[in-house]
Formats: sequence, structure tokens, C-alpha cells
Amino acid sequence: MNVFAIGIGGTGAKCVESLVHLHAAGLITDQAGKTIRLGTFLVEPDQQSTLLARTEIAVDRYSKLRKQLGNATEGFAVSEIDHYGSWSPLAGAKPGISLDQVFSKPVLRNKASGLADLFDCLFPPEEQTAELDVGFRGRPPIGSAVMSRISLDEAAQSGEWKKLLADIKTASGSGDPPIIHLFGSVFGGTGASGVPTLGAMLKTWLQQQNVLKVKVHASLLLPYFDFDGQGDQGIGIHAEVGNFQLNTDAALQYLSNNGKSCFDQVYLLGSDIKARYDFSIGGRSQVNDAHIIELLATLGIRHGCSLESTKDYAYMISRGKEDQIDWEDVPDNGVVGTALAQAARFAVAWKRNYSLEIDAAQSTPLKEFTSGAPWIRKYFSISEESITKSEGLPSIRSQEELALKQAIDGYAATLLQWLRQFSRNTGLGFKQELFTEEQLTNDETYANQLHNVVRGSAKPTLAVHADTVDRIKIQMDKLPDPEIKFRGVAGVADSLWKLSIQPKTS
Amino acid sequence: MTPQQIALLIANAIAGSLWIFIGQNLVLLNVFAELLSGGGLNLSDYLDSASSPSFQALFYSCVAVTLIWLMTTAKKSPINSVEVREMRPTWWICASVLVLLGWFYQLVFTVLISQFSGTAPVEGVEANFYPVPPGGWVTLLVLVIFDVGLLFWLPTMLASPKSYRLVVPGAMKFLGGR
Repeated sequence: MNVFAIGIGGTGAKCVESLVHLHAAGLITDQAGKTIRLGTFLVEPDQQSTLLARTEIAVDRYSKLRKQLGNATEGFAVSEIDHYGSWSPLAGAKPGISLDQVFSKPVLRNKASGLADLFDCLFPPEEQTAELDVGFRGRPPIGSAVMSRISLDEAAQSGEWKKLLADIKTASGSGDPPIIHLFGSVFGGTGASGVPTLGAMLKTWLQQQNVLKVKVHASLLLPYFDFDGQGDQGIGIHAEVGNFQLNTDAALQYLSNNGKSCFDQVYLLGSDIKARYDFSIGGRSQVNDAHIIELLATLGIRHGCSLESTKDYAYMISRGKEDQIDWEDVPDNGVVGTALAQAARFAVAWKRNYSLEIDAAQSTPLKEFTSGAPWIRKYFSISEESITKSEGLPSIRSQEELALKQAIDGYAATLLQWLRQFSRNTGLGFKQELFTEEQLTNDETYANQLHNVVRGSAKPTLAVHADTVDRIKIQMDKLPDPEIKFRGVAGVADSLWKLSIQPKTS
Repeated sequence: MTPQQIALLIANAIAGSLWIFIGQNLVLLNVFAELLSGGGLNLSDYLDSASSPSFQALFYSCVAVTLIWLMTTAKKSPINSVEVREMRPTWWICASVLVLLGWFYQLVFTVLISQFSGTAPVEGVEANFYPVPPGGWVTLLVLVIFDVGLLFWLPTMLASPKSYRLVVPGAMKFLGGR
């Protein structure tokens, strides 16, 4: 089965970031529980956006990891991902382009003065002249005007859209009809204007192409953050917290009237307790941390692919406690909690122990090193002579193994950063009982204890003293050879992935 | 500790006990009698009164230190391979102390007890100690090293638990090499 995820605007990009991690944890599956092939695409006029860059880094690191792993694992990072890139609705425009330049207002004035007057009526002068390199400045009307100029027929002829639309069309011929899932906020500028506009365009395009089996879903994020402070006067028009409610009302009103022409299913998520972000007009200064709402929004894809997904149009969730979110508030928490706990514990154990051990093995005589780390005998040759392969086992010092280790390091660091961000970014007076933020660091120091990485019901039931990386190493050392299907760094990562979580009954 | 390690440990304890309480005296009487006898020393009497108690003291010392080693390593949860290997100097200290202790026991039972009590242990000989010839001393001191090997090195090599199972000298060669 294929799912094509399109993140629109900064929040949409953050949802795709979250999606990459859920997919890597094996949570995006079809009705039979098999992982699906995920395609990702980002729509963002602000090409300098830190949020866009962060998502692209996550996608890139996971893609590189997948490429290097190939079929060398059976549990760790087995989900396929295909990134179609990021696209700006202002692509090809000169830097600093404004709305009046997009619509060539002088030409409009000469050739259709009535339209020019309508343009003046719809957009005040500061909106007409604001530079759009940093996005649509929290103004959905600007975004809608720009987005509505897109023609998917034209877009399908070249660039990023061409491959995406072609793949959607191809996938529609396979057994399971693909799903296109859009992500974006409805209270900002780019998402609020882009999600319904693109949703409607895609539905129309699919009908024109006679590809009727493809479903278009969307996770729409209602206000869940505020800004600390506001922009200076010199920066021109910008997103204002005061407009969030107004934008949301307008978007929801549009959806209630026209929603079914845009989406087959929608997932609506927001929060009465707002996260606080430093004000940013956009670009590199927009460094909003990941948020639990984005994770929940991403789970909409999981729901959309499952048997539970019915003919209902709109889905919402709520939490059990006023000032706290815990695993019981997460849909399908038994599976989702276990998989995320596994991912978090893997990332801590890998980045803060196994990776450092492999580094240490580079400068220590191998037999000496092995006397302190018996588990490596199962995965690597301990012969000093060979730096490639010996007795069917790869050398821990071979370039291929070190390159793979680096790829796992890169992805684990990204995963830890994401987990840490959403663990700490809860908003005033609100707490989460999912992960322990302090445990999710990227330090180059050894960690052994895993007991407190995960909280609540997803936490393994091991005793504190037993829940260590050392315990996993001992289990690896005891694994019978037939149970170790892969060797080298990939084999270590695969075994660690499996052993990172204990069944609840143990 | 795995069932296999426990079985090896029990087998080692049985073999060690048989050696210390029965086998070693038979070997000393039948193989090294010439080296130990001389100067009027009644070998059988010496083995009963001095040699056996000294080796039995060494046996109990080795059992105690081995149990301490096994319990310490079983309780530890090392953070990395360096921390595991840091136990090796401790092992060598234990082994060295046991050898020195074994030699000291020989000195105590062969010489010092009689010296302090002021009695001559061998009838007809005025010396206040068992007159063990130099060759006999060398034999006893070497046997102490052998016994420490049997009663400390072998059980710790065979049964050091978890991450410590290859840290004892020789464990890599006998248990861990591919």
C-alpha cells in the first residue's frame, strides 16, 4: 500500500517530521499490519524555514539509513520512504516577490481596471506589498490567492509534482488504493490557505484523471501554540496570535461548507493549553520545537490506513486529564506506545552506548576489547589481520561498517532531538507522562540505565537494576547463532531493536 | 550465571576438594617424597600436621575469594567494555594475594607455629620447625601456585558471569576465541 504525505507550511512540515519517525518505528501499516511505502512532499513558500530544513534532515537521514541497510535487517528501520522534495508555490519567482507582483498589478490596472479595484478591495496595501519569501505571513487570503494560481495539470509536466502525481496514478492501479494525506495548520497562513486549496485541487485532478479510488485525507491543526512577544513594526505584516482564532473560524466554516470537495476524511487536533514559541516572521529564526499535537496529527494516517477507518468524515480526540497527557490519551496506545518506547530506548542505547563502544573498538586491540565486550563476537570478526571480513564476519573497522554506523548515529540523533523537543514543549501548567526529557540527550557520554527513558504504561516492566544496556549486551552474547540473521553493524542494530523492548509478560 | 557455568563451578569445586583433601597428599607422598624428606623429617607426620592444614587454609581462602569475585561481578552492571576490563587488575591482585597467602600458610605451619610455641615438631631434632629441605620448599611453593590456579583461576574463568565472562586471563583463549 502507498501513502503520500504532503506537509503544507511550517506545521505541515513538522507533522511530516513526526511521520518519518513513526514510519521508522514501523507504525504506519496497512490493514494487514504490513508497513506501507511512504512518499513525502513538502509545500512551503519559505524555503529558508528551519522547520522545513529540520524535516528534510529527518527524511534525508532516514533515507540514507534505509539505503545503506538495504535488506540487512528484519525489524530495525525496515519501512520504505520516498521523498519527492519540497516545492514552493513561489518557485521561480524573483527574491522579495510580493502579492502585487504575483498578480502583475500594473498590468491588471491597464487591462482590467475592475479586477484591479477588486484586488485593492480584497487586499490592503500592506498585504499587497509584503515580501512573501518568508511565507504568507499568517494571512490565509494571501496564501489562497497564490495557491489558487497553481495548475496541477501544468505542475504534472515537470519538477517535483511530476514524479509525485505520476506515482499516485501508478499506485492507484495496485491492489490497495493509495491515500494522499495532507498536513497543515488552519490558523496560520500557508497551511490554512494551502491545505483546503491543494486538497480541492488534488480531488479535482484525480477526478479528471479518472483515478477515483485514491482517498484524500487531511490532519488539520487547530491553534496549539502562542508566540512569546510580537514582531517589530519594521518587519511588516506578520502572523499574530490574535488572528489565530479568526483564521481557524474561517477555515472551519469553509470546511463545513466545502469540506467534502477537498477531503474524504479529516482529523482535527488542537489544544486549549498552548505551547509558547518565540515570535518569528519565518526563515531561519523559526525554530519551533516539535509538539505532541503533531505526533497525534500524524497518527491520523495510521487510522486512515486501518480497518477502524469508517465512512465518518471528521475525527477528533480528547485527553483524560486536564493538565496532563499520558499514553492512555494516545490512539491505539498499546501498539503506538510500545513502538515509540522501543524507538526511544533504541536511540538512547545506540547513541549513548553501542555507537561509543564501536568507536572505542577502533583504537583498542580487538581481543582486548572483546574481553570486555563478549557480545561483539557474534557480529564481528575479532581477527586483527582482516579489515574487511574474516570467517564470514565483517571487521568492526571496515569502511562499510563505519559508514553504516554513522548513518544510524545520524538518524538516532534526529530521533532523540524530536523526542526531546516534544517531551519538553508542553506549554505552561501542562505535563506529559510519555518520556523523560532528561534521558533523551545526544551527549557523547555513556548511558546504561534505560528504566526512565519511557514513562507510564508503555514503560517495560523490568526492575530498575535490570533495565540496562548491559542487560541487552548480555542477551546479545547469549543469542543462539540461528537467531542472529544479520551480522556487522546492521546485525547489532537489528538485535538491539528487538531487545530494546521486553514483552509485558516478562 | 548460566546453568552450564553453575555445573562447571560445581564440577570444579568437587575436583578441587578431592585434590586438596586427598589427591595432593598422595602425590606428595608418592611423587615428591624424595624432595620433601631429609633432615629427619617424617613425611607422613609432616603432611598430617603441617602441609595438609596449610593447603586446607589456602583452599578455604580461595573459595572465599572466588565467591566474592563471582558475587561482585554478578552484581555489577558495567556501563562499557572499559569498565569490564577495569576488573582485570583486581583479579590479578586477588590471585597474587592468594599465592602470597598460600606461601605464608606454608611458612606458618612449617616454621612459625613451632617457633612461637618453642617446641621441636620432630622428635630427635632440636630445630623448632619442620626441617623441609630446599627442594621441598620449592615443591610446596610451586604447589601453592598450582592450587590457586585450580581453586581461583579455573572457577573464575569458567563461571565469571554476564559481561565479565571473558575478562579473566585465558578466558578469551579457552572460551571466547573464534
